[in-house]
Formats: sequence, C-alpha cells, structure tokens
Amino acid sequence: MAAALLEFGYLFAVLAVVGAVALRLGLSVIPLYVVGGVVAGPHVAGRFGLPYVPNGEVVTILAEFGIVLLLFFLGLEFSLDRLRASGAKIGRAGVIDLAVNLPIGIAIGLVLGWSPVEALLLGGIVYISSSAIVTKTLIDLGWIADPESEPILGTLVFEDLAIAVYLAVVTSLVLGGDGGVAAIGRSLAIAFGFLGLLFVAVQYGTALFARLLDVENQEAFVLRALAVVVPISGAALALGVSEAVAAFFVGMGFSTSGHRERLEHLLVSVRDVFAAVFFFWIGLGTDPTLLAAAAVPLVVAVVVSTPSKVVSGYLGGRAYDLSAHRSLRVGVGMVPRGEFSLVIAALAAAGTTPVMREIIPAFAVGYVFVMSALGTVLMQRSDLVERLVFRGGAADGEASTESA
Amino acid sequence: MTVYESDLPGVGKKHEVDLGDGSRLVIVTHNTGKREVFRRASADSDSEKLFELSDKLARQVGTLLEGAYFQPVQTETIETLLGDNTLIEWVEVGGDSALAGKTLGESDLRQATGASVIAIERGDELVTSPGGDAMVEAGDTLVVIGPRAACREFTALVKGT
Repeated sequence: MAAALLEFGYLFAVLAVVGAVALRLGLSVIPLYVVGGVVAGPHVAGRFGLPYVPNGEVVTILAEFGIVLLLFFLGLEFSLDRLRASGAKIGRAGVIDLAVNLPIGIAIGLVLGWSPVEALLLGGIVYISSSAIVTKTLIDLGWIADPESEPILGTLVFEDLAIAVYLAVVTSLVLGGDGGVAAIGRSLAIAFGFLGLLFVAVQYGTALFARLLDVENQEAFVLRALAVVVPISGAALALGVSEAVAAFFVGMGFSTSGHRERLEHLLVSVRDVFAAVFFFWIGLGTDPTLLAAAAVPLVVAVVVSTPSKVVSGYLGGRAYDLSAHRSLRVGVGMVPRGEFSLVIAALAAAGTTPVMREIIPAFAVGYVFVMSALGTVLMQRSDLVERLVFRGGAADGEASTESA
Repeated sequence: MTVYESDLPGVGKKHEVDLGDGSRLVIVTHNTGKREVFRRASADSDSEKLFELSDKLARQVGTLLEGAYFQPVQTETIETLLGDNTLIEWVEVGGDSALAGKTLGESDLRQATGASVIAIERGDELVTSPGGDAMVEAGDTLVVIGPRAACREFTALVKGT
C-alpha cells in the first residue's frame, strides 16, 4: 500500500516537472507527459536500476478513467444541432479530410504487410488531428479571431463524430479477436446494438439527466455525473464495446441537459488530472527500443501524412470559400496529432498480434511526438510555409506583409 | 451596424462588428468567460489582438462603453460603482418629498450629505451640471455622485424617511 502510494506520488511529481518544462518551452504538454512516462517507467528508469513507476493495475484503471473523461468532454462539446446547422460546409471539409487521410494511413499499413485491422488502426492514428493541441495553438497565435478558425474547428467537430464511429467498429474488431467472420459479426452486432440503444436513450433522456443534475451541492453534482458516465462506460467495456464511445454518447446527453457549462467548469480539472495520467500510462507501456522497429512506418507516415493533412485542410478551407492564403493555414492548422491517436494506440495495445501490442503503440508515441511538435512549429511559422507554397504567386504574397 | 456571430466549438463564441471603414472588431468570448478583443484592418489582413479581459472586468468595461453613466435608469436600485467607495445613484423625487418645489440651493443637500447632484432628469429633458438655482420638482430623477454613505443619506433625505 505504502509502496503504491509512493509510486503514485512519483508519477505526479514527474508529471508536474515535465508540465513545467512544457510551459517554459512553450510546447504542448501531451507528448511531454508521454515522455515522462517512458523515462520514469519500467523500460528506462527500471532498466537502469532506478526507482520507477511500474505499469500496474491501478495506473491502468486511472488511465482508463482518463480516456472516459476525455471522450465524455468531447461529447459535452459536441452538438448534433450545431453539426446540422452548419452541416454542408462542415460535411464537405470533414469528408475531404476523412477521405484523404484515413486511406493514406491504411495504405501505409498494407504496404508494410500488416493485416487489414492493423492497417485500419494505423489509418485512425494518422487521420485524427489533436483537438487539444490545435485549439490551444489557435488561441495562442490569435488565429481564433480569423476566418480560418471556422473550418479548422468545424473539421475537428466532424472528426469527433468520425472517431466515435471508428472506435465503435475498431474496438469490436480488436477485442473480437480471431474468431473469424462470425465472431467479428457478432461483436459488431453487440457494439452497434449497445451503442444504438445508448444513443437513443441519450437523445430521449435529456429530461432525466436534467433532473438528476438539478442539485445545488457541488459534490453531489460531480458524483452524480460520474455515477452515470463511469458505470455505462464500464458496462460497455465488459461487453467488448468501446468505453470511449459510450462516454462520448453520455457526454452528448448531458450537453443538452442545461448543465453543460457547470459540468465543464467542475469536471475540467478532474479530466486534466486523469488525462495526464493516461498520457503518462501510454509512456509506461512504451519500450523505446521498439521505436527502432517502428522507425520505417514512422518515417513514411510523417513524410506522407504531413502534406496530406495540409492538402486536405487546404481543400476544406476552399469549401468554406476562403482565399488560397487562408486555406493553406487551415491545412497547416490540422497537422498536429495528439490525444486521440494515443487513445487508438491504447486500444491497439489490447490486441492479439505483436504488431498491435508492440509496434503500433510505439509508432503512435513516436508519431504523436513528431506531429505535435512539427504541427505547432508549422503553425507558428506559417508565414514561411506560405512563402514556400506561394513562391510563384505574387498576388497572395502581399497579404502576409500587410499586417507588419 | 452589422454583427456576425459564429460558434467556435470547444472554445466559445466569436462576434465580428463592422466598423464601417472596412475594418472589423472581433470579440472572442471563451467558455471560461475570458474575452479577447481583436481588430482586423481589412478582410485580407490578420487580426491584431488589442487586449483581453476577464469575465468580470469585461462586464465593467462594457458598462462604460455602453454609456450607462449618462443614461438615467428608472429603478431606484440601479447604481454604478466608480471606485471602491464612490457611487452614482439615480434617485426619484416623490410627490411628498421635502425637496419638491425647492431649488437645489435652498435644500443645500451637498452641505447636508456630501453627495452632489450631477444631473436632473425631467421627462425627456436632461439638465446636466445643475446650478444652485435649478428647481427640483416631484417626479424628477436626480443623478447623484458621492461616497457610498453620502448617497445613502441623500436618498433617505429625498424620500423623507
């Protein structure tokens, strides 16, 4: 007991230190939390005989809680009505984004000789941009006030929905195991049955949620919210259904209950704590020597999927009738990958093949590390990117010098 | 004036105000309550951040911009805090008030209370910086400035309680 608490203290001390480093250097915290986990975990500190945080059951459960809260918040922010209201534009930009980037990731996996499910996992990791990093950088750079923020945030909303469907399918494929087509069919049926029921319940359960949360006391409020989202997610996982998608749906239900802002306000620090534990836990399970094995897919994915996001984002910006100059920024703004790629990696780690258990998680860690840094730098230096791309077109070059 | 509103999912809301000269004021209201105010010189240029305010500060500055100081408000409870202890209050003169029918000089409330009348509102008419010979009538609204305690005393005297 004492040892476990000490390990836990060690975990938070490392998170606090790397968080401070990230703040000081102006970097995104997510990849640094992961690195903290790698360094303080069994594969680095443990190998050198230093005190380390073992990849135990307690950390795993708390990390799982972090995933549930991350997706719960995504659901809170997500609104079907909003998607419907600006549907056509978001739809066009989102479909372009999906149709370009998911197949590219899948193709890379297939070319490497991976199985279709493994390739699909790679596709998801490569496809999904990081809402957290992109949004934060938009605010930091002041792009949030410019027209490019709308297609960027809109595409992220579309990705949220896409990832919910994706996780529902892929969780069944991974956890359904190797039982052949019949077993996969059955686990898919269970997944869509459960999630379908949950979705309907959430759509019609707004009044119930509203009444449940109608309590002055903060403690009771927080506990009631968790008492809904955690058991439902747990039940989903017990059935082999994506707990993340279940949490997402519950979040959607709460978002229309009239308590959204209070939920966000009171739960945001809880989410941040456990999301940090989740990123750390990803690091704990990452053996840096496996990065060598993942080097080839990593290099290929970075080289191919950076321009592919820029191009799909550019086309998305054009779908919003933005100028070429601003559309290019939309593309650059979609490059960072982060938390959701790691959620998919955590799912892969529960798989059955060596590629799923070892290569894909190591790949995801390396990929997120590169893409979060590269994406942020590209956004900060978008003037250089613009000059590079529009070298020939003098007309577009004027805009960037005007603000000086 | 045209105001464009758009949603910023996960961030908050954005309002753009056309300033008439081709430039726009862009106000980003974060879900946390923080306001960021930008100016965009033309449709092609990038927004330049002017300042940011906390939720509370934004509301206070908003009152100033709204010009609330110079708009007599008909309720008695409205008051505007200038500093830690300085208030502007709107006080209605009732029919049975001792002030009704006297000039400000005759009542000499500034001497008595320490609060000064900075404007008299009578129907649609506004007398600003009234002198000692300004007549106060029943139904007038007096705009008073002074320390909190002085304003309280002033209100009590006018109401005759």
